[in-house]
Amino acid sequence: MAKVTVSKLAKLFPPPIKGGDVVRAITNIDFEVDGNVFVSIVGPSGCGKSTLLNILSGVDTPTSGSVTVTEAGKPAKLGYVFQDARLLPWRSVMDNMMYVRDDASDESVANAAKYLSMVGLDHTHEMFPGQLSGGMQQRVGIARAFSVEPDLLLMDEPFSHLDAMTARSLRDHLQELWSRTRKTVLFVTHDVMEAVQLSDRIIVLAPGGVIYDDISIDLPHPRKASDPKVATLQAEILGQFENMQIPAVE
Amino acid sequence: MAGVLVDSAEASALGTAAGLRRRRYLALATGWVGFVAIWWLLSVWVNSDARLPSPGRVWDEVWIIFNGDPTNSRNDGGIFWNNFLASVIRVLLGFVVGVAMGTPLGFLMGRNRYWRSFLKSPVMIAGSIPGLTYAVMVLVVFGISFVGPVLAIGLISMPYIAINVAEGVGGVDKGLLNMSRSFGRSEKQMFRDVVVPSVLPFIFAGVRLSFSLAWKVGQLTEVFGASQGIGFQIRRNFQLFNMPAVIAWIGLFIIFMLVLERFVLVRIERKLFRWRQWEREG
Repeated sequence: MAKVTVSKLAKLFPPPIKGGDVVRAITNIDFEVDGNVFVSIVGPSGCGKSTLLNILSGVDTPTSGSVTVTEAGKPAKLGYVFQDARLLPWRSVMDNMMYVRDDASDESVANAAKYLSMVGLDHTHEMFPGQLSGGMQQRVGIARAFSVEPDLLLMDEPFSHLDAMTARSLRDHLQELWSRTRKTVLFVTHDVMEAVQLSDRIIVLAPGGVIYDDISIDLPHPRKASDPKVATLQAEILGQFENMQIPAVE
Repeated sequence: MAGVLVDSAEASALGTAAGLRRRRYLALATGWVGFVAIWWLLSVWVNSDARLPSPGRVWDEVWIIFNGDPTNSRNDGGIFWNNFLASVIRVLLGFVVGVAMGTPLGFLMGRNRYWRSFLKSPVMIAGSIPGLTYAVMVLVVFGISFVGPVLAIGLISMPYIAINVAEGVGGVDKGLLNMSRSFGRSEKQMFRDVVVPSVLPFIFAGVRLSFSLAWKVGQLTEVFGASQGIGFQIRRNFQLFNMPAVIAWIGLFIIFMLVLERFVLVRIERKLFRWRQWEREG
């Protein structure tokens, strides 16, 4: 039940060329996420999505404004899924799972195995990442992030490097996993269809890093991409984006 | 019917693979036999043990090296292992010194650009100094000693290790470091589980590169300033005008090098970097 509070957040980057203009990655945004919800942050490239995630994770600092991520008043524990799997190639799948855990007890191993099983990778414990396909590697990355049982899970376009078929099956895995664990998730993507299938709420950012829209989606989980209700909603929201005249999908 | 067809196709495919290997061994054997035959013909033509001893004469010497010389009470057959071990221990210790010096230098160069600027030229210069210089230098400084050759071997292999380690440290995947940080791993864990495994193949490449060089320098220092070792035996027999023995020692040295390289180093590498095999295939 993490609580994320973003208030009057702004991030400026120095001009990329000498004498150029300051780059406004994020301009004064406010939002709050409370409870076990799946929230997507959508927008075209260069609208500050990844910057926002970096600030939330503490990798980057804001120019002004503030972000807090708390769990029952204390700093929340975070989990990450990156664009690429980021597994240690010299460690087996199971050893990769154990790398991010603090204890190596039998119980801890069993817990890691449980999450691998949830993404359908029971048979891969002893394999090296190089022996797995890109999609399987990303599944390990997702299992790893869930297995640390974070209060808040940050996901940065985790399916953008995969082919459409693999991405689709991974979305199903993610839906399954999320329905069972109900973490607070902030999911960055440029894919509106993906956001509609996965999220309870979509925060739309526009170039310059301003909030363009904040959409609630009230459909039960887990949702299948083939579900006509999902498809209808996708079409509807995609239509809204066309009216907004921002390049929603790249 | 289909099954039979597949079976015969498989059998012929297997047959080809085995045949290929057999042909390769045959070529290898032909090469060696041809080499020895040409050597023997030349020695018959030269007809001088001092200039070019025949393979048979050299073989006699090899036999004496291993089994002792009945006409010489000082050589009871322990001569091979004594000298051989002396050389091996020197080279191994020299390598330890080289890795011990080169690894920290490499880390400094790879991590910090000021250190890189500071160390680049000295390391490059150290790498381009001929082995002979080191051999003579340590002889002048230490005289006939155990430390001298070890240090020379260490100095000659150090730059290769340092440059490779620097390359490896510079190439550590930033994504993996970020991932580790995001999951709250300590600097110590990151060093042990991300940096060291990333750099290890580069250290190994450095060892492989400098391995034959280290052996050569090791032999050279033994020729000048040692009282034991393969290099020392080569010089001693040279001074006694015992050419068959010189060639016997050189031959044993080459064979040992080949065995060490082919079987020991390659195996260790394969075992240590088992994961890389999949990397390449994947």
